[in-house]
Amino acid sequence: MSADHIATLDGWTKQNKINYLLLSDFRRTMLPAYDALVTDEKSPIYRYAKRAYYVIDKNGVVRWIKVEANPLDLLDPAEVLKALKESGV
Amino acid sequence: MRRASLPLVAALLLTGLALTSPVAALEVGQKAPDFTLAAPGGKQVKLSDLTAKGPVVIFTFIQAFTGT
Repeated sequence: MSADHIATLDGWTKQNKINYLLLSDFRRTMLPAYDALVTDEKSPIYRYAKRAYYVIDKNGVVRWIKVEANPLDLLDPAEVLKALKESGV
Repeated sequence: MRRASLPLVAALLLTGLALTSPVAALEVGQKAPDFTLAAPGGKQVKLSDLTAKGPVVIFTFIQAFTGT
């Protein structure tokens, strides 16, 4: 999920043959609610998504959160999988 | 005149602080805010429809077509 326009994600999905669901929060409705929007006081148009991970169970309850301070810090997928298993969902 | 404007200035400052305060952070154990967002192909996807099928992992990233 990102704040990209849906046409951007559409092109990215096709170019990279992405087989998981990509969602566009172009209007920034979801990202602030998840504390995942990064802004810059000096630039009103700088409103991007943080790099963050959430595990939501089947009842819609948050079971695990990891919000990276640096967007370049990519988590090892094994860590996310471990969190998914340990959260008992 | 000067005294009368002080409460107004204070009220404006407090309003400004309230509007710029960060959103309360989402925490483990809370209900995830539901949302409906667009997916490639024009489909609208609702979180609660996804969780009805099972647990969901959400991953947010800064921008497509970049190294972030």
